[in-house]
Amino acid sequence: MIAILLYPLAYSFVMSFYRWDLSAPSQYFVGLGNYRDTWNSLGFQQTLRVQLIFSAITITVEVAAGMGIAILVNSKLRGLKLARTLLLVPPMIAPAVVGLNFRWLFNGQYGLANAILRYLGLPEAPWLSDPNWALVSVMIADIWQNTPLLVLLFLAGLQSLPQEPIEAAQVDGASPWGIFRYITLPLMRPILMIALMLRIIDTFRTFDVVWLMTQGGPGGATNLVTVNAYLLAFQSASFGHAAAVSYIALGLSLLFLALLYGVPWLGRKFRRVS
Amino acid sequence: MSYKLSKGGILTRRGFLGGSAAALGASTLSMPHIARAAGDEIRALLITGGPLYPKYWEKVVNGFTEKTGIKVKYDLLEFTPLTTKVVTLGAARSNLYDVFSTHTAQIDSFFNYFGALNEYFSEEDLKDFYKVGVDYLVNPKNGHLAAIPRNMDARTQYYRSDVYEEKGLKAAVTWEDLVEVSQKLTGDGRYGLVVPGQGDPAQRTFSDFLWQAGGDWVDESNKPSFNAAPGVEALTYYRDLIQKWKVVPPDAVSYQWNENSTQFSSGAVMDTFDWPGAFATLSNPETSRIVGKWSTAPYVRNKKSISCAISHAMALNSMSKRKDPAVEFIKYTVSPEAQLLNFNEFSNFPSRLSVAKQVVAEASGVKADWLAQLEQTISTGKEWPKLPGFSRVSTLMFSTIERALSNQQTPEDALNQAAAEALQIMTQAGAYN
Repeated sequence: MIAILLYPLAYSFVMSFYRWDLSAPSQYFVGLGNYRDTWNSLGFQQTLRVQLIFSAITITVEVAAGMGIAILVNSKLRGLKLARTLLLVPPMIAPAVVGLNFRWLFNGQYGLANAILRYLGLPEAPWLSDPNWALVSVMIADIWQNTPLLVLLFLAGLQSLPQEPIEAAQVDGASPWGIFRYITLPLMRPILMIALMLRIIDTFRTFDVVWLMTQGGPGGATNLVTVNAYLLAFQSASFGHAAAVSYIALGLSLLFLALLYGVPWLGRKFRRVS
Repeated sequence: MSYKLSKGGILTRRGFLGGSAAALGASTLSMPHIARAAGDEIRALLITGGPLYPKYWEKVVNGFTEKTGIKVKYDLLEFTPLTTKVVTLGAARSNLYDVFSTHTAQIDSFFNYFGALNEYFSEEDLKDFYKVGVDYLVNPKNGHLAAIPRNMDARTQYYRSDVYEEKGLKAAVTWEDLVEVSQKLTGDGRYGLVVPGQGDPAQRTFSDFLWQAGGDWVDESNKPSFNAAPGVEALTYYRDLIQKWKVVPPDAVSYQWNENSTQFSSGAVMDTFDWPGAFATLSNPETSRIVGKWSTAPYVRNKKSISCAISHAMALNSMSKRKDPAVEFIKYTVSPEAQLLNFNEFSNFPSRLSVAKQVVAEASGVKADWLAQLEQTISTGKEWPKLPGFSRVSTLMFSTIERALSNQQTPEDALNQAAAEALQIMTQAGAYN
C-alpha cells in the first residue's frame, strides 16, 4: 500500500512545490510557485472553465438520462431484456476505442454524424473544428459511454426498493410523477449520492476519450485538467507544473465531494437547530 | 524468522499480505536485472512507423553485430509514445536504454539527459553532416552536441499534376499564387489545399509562414518576437486560408499530419506540404489513390523562402554504463551504409552531405526534381530555438495558433498574450541568465 499508493502520491505532492523541468540541470524548491504560475496562466483559466462546464453538463445529463432509462428498463414492457444486455456494451469498450470511434464519427467530411445530417437535408455541423461544437462532441462521447453504467446502478437501486409505499400511493390514486417525486426519488437518494460521487471523481480524471478526439483543442476548447497535466508533463517536460495542475484537480474534486455530502448535512443540522 | 503462509491449507490474511509483499519486493528487485543487458550488449529505444521500419532496424542491428560483435537489444516505438517514454525515463534518470532515437523538435528537454557526443565526433566528422541538422542539436548554453542527425526532414509541395494540367494551372510559388490557384481548384466537395491546424503540426506550419513573412521566434536578445508584424501577418494568412478564402477543408483545425496526408492521397484535396515519407506513400497503390497523378514543387515563399529543416537523430544516454559500445552503434546508424539503406527503404533524405550528393546524382525524373527541391529547402531551412523553457512555449503555441485558426481570438491578440506568457516561462527556465 505504501509502496504503490502513498509513496507516489506523496512524491508527486512534494514535486508540485519544486521547479522540476527536465531541461533544468537540477530541481529547486519554489513553494507555491508552480500553483501560482498555473493559476495565472491563460490556458489554465480556460481549462478550469471547460472542466466545470464539462463536469456539470455530463453529470446532469448522465444522471437524468440514467434515471429515466432505468425507470423505463425497470418496467414490464416487452423487449427490455435485449435493451438491458445492450446497456452493458458502452461501459465494456475501452475509452481509447470510444475516442477513436467518435473522432471518425464526427469527422467533418467522412463522418457518419454529418452524413446523417446531409441525408436529412440539415446543415452539417463543425463537430471537432468549432470550439463550442468540439466541447459538445466530447460530452456526447462521455455521455454515451457512462450513462449505461448509471442506468445499471439505478436499476439495481429501483429493484431493491420496498414496494409497499409505492403500492399504497397507487391505491391512494397518486400520479406516476407524484410517486416518483415523493416516494421513489427520496428512497433512491443514497444510490444517487453514490452515482454523483462516482461521476464527479470520473469527470475530473477523464482523459483518453478527449485526448483521442481533440487533444484538448481547438485552442484549448476541450482542454480538461488531465489533458493540461499531460501536455505539461510529456510535451513540456515540466513535471512540477504538471503535478500542481493534478493536485488542483484533486482538490477541486474533493471540494465538490465535500459539498455533495456537506451541504445536505449542514441543511439537516440547521433545520434541527432552528 | 519464518512465516506460516497457510492454516490447514487455507491461505491466512497475514500469509497473503506477507506473500504479496515478498513477491512485490522480489519483482522490484529483479526488474532491473531483467531490463539490463548482458556485458557485450547494449539496449536501444528506436523509432518505428509503418510496416517497413522493423525490417530496416533488423538489418541495421544485424549489420552492426556482424561488424563489431556487439549485440543490440532494442524496442521500437512510434514518434509520440517514444518521446513520452524518453521524457519519463529522463525524469527518472534511468539507464534502462543506452541509445535513443530522438528528434530536433523537443531536444531542448533532453539536453541534461543525453550525453555529449562532441568527444566522439570530430569537427571533421561533423563537416559531412548538414549544418542545420547539427546546429539545432547543440545545447546553446554549453555547446554540447546532444544527438547526431540520422536523416533530414523538410517539406516540399505535393500537387495533383493531372488536375493542374487539365485546368492549365502551375504549382504555386508565392503566398498569393497559393490562394489564387487553390481558389480555382476548390469546389464540388474538393479543396485546393490542406494544411494542418492542431498541435505540433500547426506550430510547424505557423513557423514556416513566420519565417517566410520575414519574422522569427526570438529577437537578438532571445526575447519572444513572434508577435511582431511578420508573426501577425503569418498567422492571419494561415487563418484566412481556412476561414476567409475557404480553400482548405473547414475541419482542418482538428487535422494533424495523418489527416493531411490522407486528404491528399485519397484525392479530396489538390495540394499539400508534406514530409519526405509522403513520396513513398503516394507512390504506393496500397496507400494512395493518386499514384502517377501527382508531382512536387518547392515550398511556397513570401518575403523569404524559408521552412523547417529538422532531423531524426540518435542520442546517447548520459546515464549509460556502456557508453563506448553505445556510441559505436550510434556511429553505425549514421554511417553512409545505414543512410543509403534508409534512403532506399523509405526515401528518407540523408543527413550526410556526401550521401545526399550521391543519391541526388543517381536519381532521375520526378525523384531527381524532388530531391533537388528538398536539398534547396534544407540548405535554407531553420528550426525553432533550443532555449530553456521553449518546450513549454511550444505547448502554449499549439493552443495559441488553434485559437486564432478557429476564430476564438484575433491573430494579434492571441500572439501578444502568448508572447507575454512565453517571456515569463523562458525567464523562469533560465534562458536569460
